Amino acid sequence: MKKNKGMIILFLLPAVILFCLIFLYPIMRTLLMSFFKITGVTDSMDMWQFNGIGNYTKLFSTGLFVTSMTNLAKIWLFGGIIVLSISLLLAVILTSGVRGKKFFRAIIYLPNIVSAVALATMWLQYVYSPKFGLLKTFFTKLGLESLSKTQWLDNEHKFGALLIAYCFGMIGYHMLIWLSGIERISPELFEAATIDGANKPAQFRYMTLPLLKGVFKTNITMWSVSSVAFFLWSQLFSTVTADTKTITPMVYMYTKVFGAGNSVTEHDAGVGAAVGVILSVCVVIIFTLCNKFIKDDELEF
Amino acid sequence: MKKKVISALLCAAMVGTMLAGCGGSTGGSGSTAASGDAKVSDDTLVYWSMWEATEPQGKAIQEAVDAYSEESGVKVDVQFKGRTGQREGLQAALDAGTHIDLFDEDIDRVNGSWGTYLADLEDYAKAADYEATANAGLISACRDSGGGTLKSIPYQPNVFAFFYNKDLFDQAGIKDVPTTWDEFLSVCQQLKDAGITPITCDDAYADCMIGYHLGRLAGEDKVKEIVADGKWDDPVVLQMAQDYQELADKGYFSENVGSNVWPAGQNSELALGEVAMYLNGSWLPNEVVDTAGEDFNWGCFSYPAVTKGATDTATGTEAANYGAQVLAVNKDSKLGQEAFDLICKITQGEFDQKLADESNGIPADTTNTEWPKLVECAKPVMESCTTRYTWAVGIESNDDMTPIIKENFIKLMAGTLDADGFVKAMTDASK
Repeated sequence: MKKNKGMIILFLLPAVILFCLIFLYPIMRTLLMSFFKITGVTDSMDMWQFNGIGNYTKLFSTGLFVTSMTNLAKIWLFGGIIVLSISLLLAVILTSGVRGKKFFRAIIYLPNIVSAVALATMWLQYVYSPKFGLLKTFFTKLGLESLSKTQWLDNEHKFGALLIAYCFGMIGYHMLIWLSGIERISPELFEAATIDGANKPAQFRYMTLPLLKGVFKTNITMWSVSSVAFFLWSQLFSTVTADTKTITPMVYMYTKVFGAGNSVTEHDAGVGAAVGVILSVCVVIIFTLCNKFIKDDELEF
Repeated sequence: MKKKVISALLCAAMVGTMLAGCGGSTGGSGSTAASGDAKVSDDTLVYWSMWEATEPQGKAIQEAVDAYSEESGVKVDVQFKGRTGQREGLQAALDAGTHIDLFDEDIDRVNGSWGTYLADLEDYAKAADYEATANAGLISACRDSGGGTLKSIPYQPNVFAFFYNKDLFDQAGIKDVPTTWDEFLSVCQQLKDAGITPITCDDAYADCMIGYHLGRLAGEDKVKEIVADGKWDDPVVLQMAQDYQELADKGYFSENVGSNVWPAGQNSELALGEVAMYLNGSWLPNEVVDTAGEDFNWGCFSYPAVTKGATDTATGTEAANYGAQVLAVNKDSKLGQEAFDLICKITQGEFDQKLADESNGIPADTTNTEWPKLVECAKPVMESCTTRYTWAVGIESNDDMTPIIKENFIKLMAGTLDADGFVKAMTDASK
């Protein structure tokens, strides 16, 4: 028994050391940094000035940061509803015995393997273009003149434009997670239900959905983590300087830590760290709420 | 027993692999020194460049470095980091004591954000009589940014001004470029009468217009004061907003100005000859050369002087945001002289000209009098500059306000907000 313990420690040690170095140390350091006034990320600790909760109060009294949190909440909520519902619908359709399942699965997943930069360029410079855009052509052909003249990237519509473009790229990924969950359910259960007279919608409502609770939780967690890290699409939709309609906390943090646009602005790594801590707390809250309200261990199949 | 031996061996192999994976690497691309060693030797000159190796600037710099290495025998390790890599990684690397002798970036960022890492270059410059062929205005700007002493050497100069399509000006019968706001309005009207849209811009550069206009009305210090202290109720702000509302009301802006996300305006409006003017840096002709073509007839004029509502700190057409990328030497470098010699190689004579030619940029060496055709139009503007504004005349100096300024100003140009509405929105936002 004693020898076994030694082996366990020996095997665990490298992973534990690496975990502490790569995960635990940065987390603790970031948490600590968020309570100090620090200019550069790599400033030595003797240059740190204790600031209490000053960084947090400053953040919540800064209009732009509040705007960025509001944008993030909207992306998470509205984007989540769009992505999770459409991806679930597509997953159900693909598992219902439709022909060409593999082909459609590949097509729907395709945007995930295309670079986000290329996708954003397509949306910005082609789909939303007020001169020759896809939407302009589409609405003109339908005879909807006022819609065809819409400036999809102006201040009024920019957030929606960003959200649609982002969701387009995310549906395939979440659809695959749903698919794996649905395929785990034994076909015999559906056969039995069919024999008992349950139609497809009833099977979906009373069998598929309850059995997908665990997958639903996974999807919400994955969606939350990717939403909180929302950065690239925001940068692509507002290059050089941030935009009130597309700024997210990650972009705000970047401008505070590395500077904004072409101007030389004051760096504030302490505030940047506080943004990181706030975002982490958001994810933990969402994860805890999911665990509390979505119980996936009631059914065994 | 056999199992235990195998377990121990596998464990050792795993740990060994992990440690090997954590080992350092020079990692740079385009290295001219023998890379592959985990550590660059002390006699190798390490240069972190803001360019990508595939960019024209990167290629020209690589050639200069190769020539320098061949002549001097000094090994140079150029690491092309790109703009983002430099901005995110340089300071951390310097703090960590990474061997970096030479680096470059924008004049204000190098001297401002990284000023404490810079070696004083006055003695090197004096010994090499560097200033004999350098642009005096830019050297002076470097001294100002460096706190009164020369800590960086400029190259790839640029100037921010109105770039325009000369053919469209000719078509509208415009003979002279505008130097005052009234002349500017008249030029816009002539263009409009000829069926040409006078002005466009992209979201990325929109607030530069406000910066310039306020700078003309009251000088850069005032602009920074307004932005930092939220003094948006200052009369010059309303004057600026009224001037721009007039442009919007008279239909001088492109109808897409409210939704242009960079580079839509410069690429699909200006470069395609649909709009006449665009306020931007002298890098613009090179950026749009693939769309506009080599034969695009470029013109350039300084942002017009504004007299109506101007204060006693107003600045005229002699003031512009002109600057350069700069090269600087790490104060901890043991190869200061070698680094300065490489700076001379890149910024003087043959390779300065090459850099200018290949990137359609402006030469830094005053003996290189031949400017590339695409930017030749900026020469009179650059030569007339005596007062230097920083980027966007300081309008972006408060990063908590920049996106809000941008939003409201774009609305003002698009005609969805009037001058009073602009002032109110900005005043409310800065409370």
